[in-house]
Amino acid sequence: MELVYGELGLPDFAKAAFFAIGAFAVGALTTRLGAALLGIAWEGEFKLRSYYYATLVSAKVAASPLLGLTLFLVPLAVAVPLAMFLGVIASYPALRLREDYLAITLIAFSEIVRVIARNYEPLVGGTFGAGVVDVFAWLRSPLRELSMMLLSATFAAGAWLLEYRLSTSPFGRLLRAIRDDEVAAAAYGKDVARARAWAMALGSGMAAAAGVLYAFYMGSVNPDDFTVSRTFLVVLMVTVGGRGNPKGPLLGAAVYLAFDRTVLFAKRLLPVPFDVNYLSYIVLGALLVLFVMRKPGGLAPERPPLTVNQKEVEETIGKRSNPERA
Amino acid sequence: MLDVLAGALIYSNLLALLAVGLSLALLTCRVSNFAHGDLAMVGVYAAYTFSVVAGVTPYASIPVAFAAGGLVSLLAYLVVFEPLRGRADLVTLMVVSMAIDMVIRYSLHVYADLMQQWLKVYTRLFMFNDFLVEVAGAQVPGVLIASAVSTVALLLSLYMLLYKTKLGAAMRAAIEDPNLAQTLGINVKRVFAVSWFLAGALAATAGVFLPFRVMVNPDTGWSMLLSMFAAVTVGGIGSIGGSVAGAYLIGISETVLSYQLAGLGVSTAYRPLLTFAAIICTLLVSPRGLSGLWSGKGWWIRRRF
Repeated sequence: MELVYGELGLPDFAKAAFFAIGAFAVGALTTRLGAALLGIAWEGEFKLRSYYYATLVSAKVAASPLLGLTLFLVPLAVAVPLAMFLGVIASYPALRLREDYLAITLIAFSEIVRVIARNYEPLVGGTFGAGVVDVFAWLRSPLRELSMMLLSATFAAGAWLLEYRLSTSPFGRLLRAIRDDEVAAAAYGKDVARARAWAMALGSGMAAAAGVLYAFYMGSVNPDDFTVSRTFLVVLMVTVGGRGNPKGPLLGAAVYLAFDRTVLFAKRLLPVPFDVNYLSYIVLGALLVLFVMRKPGGLAPERPPLTVNQKEVEETIGKRSNPERA
Repeated sequence: MLDVLAGALIYSNLLALLAVGLSLALLTCRVSNFAHGDLAMVGVYAAYTFSVVAGVTPYASIPVAFAAGGLVSLLAYLVVFEPLRGRADLVTLMVVSMAIDMVIRYSLHVYADLMQQWLKVYTRLFMFNDFLVEVAGAQVPGVLIASAVSTVALLLSLYMLLYKTKLGAAMRAAIEDPNLAQTLGINVKRVFAVSWFLAGALAATAGVFLPFRVMVNPDTGWSMLLSMFAAVTVGGIGSIGGSVAGAYLIGISETVLSYQLAGLGVSTAYRPLLTFAAIICTLLVSPRGLSGLWSGKGWWIRRRF
């Protein structure tokens, strides 16, 4: 189960690893989007009825695996492009400006989306949230959980692979260049705004996919589940794990999850006069600060990724310096 | 309508004080300080505690709030932001400020719980009791007078400090170019420390006025952040005077516009949309904000980014 939850964190910030901006609100916004689309696509009426319908449809799914598959794929196919589009749109005004302006704008945007979702009832049932169909109803219990886990693991692996390939590609180089020195990159004729737009789009898409998975895992979608705090948690995972290194977010997610579960258990053991949850947040915050100050690279600091195959390099250099070698 | 205007003014006064503090943090350490809203809450709880313990009206606790907010802000600066100044990139600084916000905010939650137990008062969703004042035949809420007076007084004092004193000149110099200021013998760290103290103090004072109008709990500061950032953005990032102007603009438009729209059937829950729209418009149309309009005149502090 850990893996399913961790999966949510994973793809979101794959892009963040590069792009110093951290794909901020992208996390909250597009995750919610993915989840929302799920709600819309399959519920006739919201509010009081959505859970009812969800159960009904789930019963049907129990009978027909194909239905389940479709119910999973369609929202995914809609959510991801939509999220990518929205991600770029939301950042357009600030793409040409400083990173933290962009971050603020994105955060504002995600809050707006949340407010709209919360208040405009036909969308996701306002504060009641929307029930989500259980697309795995056709599998019986242990197999069901297992397949969910496998599914999210696959997604995570896919996202990670994509991230890794991108990071070692010329595009990855470009992003790093922009991060290191925007002016220099622009001086070399690279279209900075466009690169940022692409990074944003990719990150948003991944986040949407994560959102869809999350919605299925949770069984319901509630706008208030996706606040800036959630985005912050994702950023925490990246920072602690290590930006710029594909292994980083993995580590970060693992660390956070471990911490989270530990807190869940330890809660009963600590007899304090206030809510222990508060303490856990304080610790998290302090942890982040400590990491940034002591180990800014995170647990897995950036290494120069090999964009060219190592063997080829050795052979070429070998040939050049020793003409006798064929 | 009169009440709406009164509310708008009070809100704008608060925003002005908050935005100035945010600006100072931005100017000195280049950090978009997400913890700034919580400093206001620190002020609230400090004032509340003092007024309960000493049995006085919260208005009398303002100096306590002032000191408390200043101290917390100073602490954040000394422990976190000064070491990171110039070393960490903008986004990291912002993320760190979010972490600080978590620490402060949840510490406040803890404090609220403890205070509730020890002092036997409600510490969440509480309000302060206000009194009405007769002004030109109309009943005006006391907090309007108090906040207006405080805001004007504090901003004026800030202006005097920055422009009429040596310390102020040092502050401006350090903000404009820390390295150069340092070579000229200005103790940049000390001067920035003063700025941060003031920023926190202003925020805390602003906070004290909040419970007179709305119910507060430790998260209220966080929810006001969007408006604060909007005020700073619209006013022009890097300009204190701009932040003040922006604050009034945002404050008044937020309250008045959402009131008008409510008349048209749009829920007031959509209020953040207006703020967001303001940020977007400013960034698109005139990224330098209001201060871009008077930029040639060098009125207030500006920073070369």
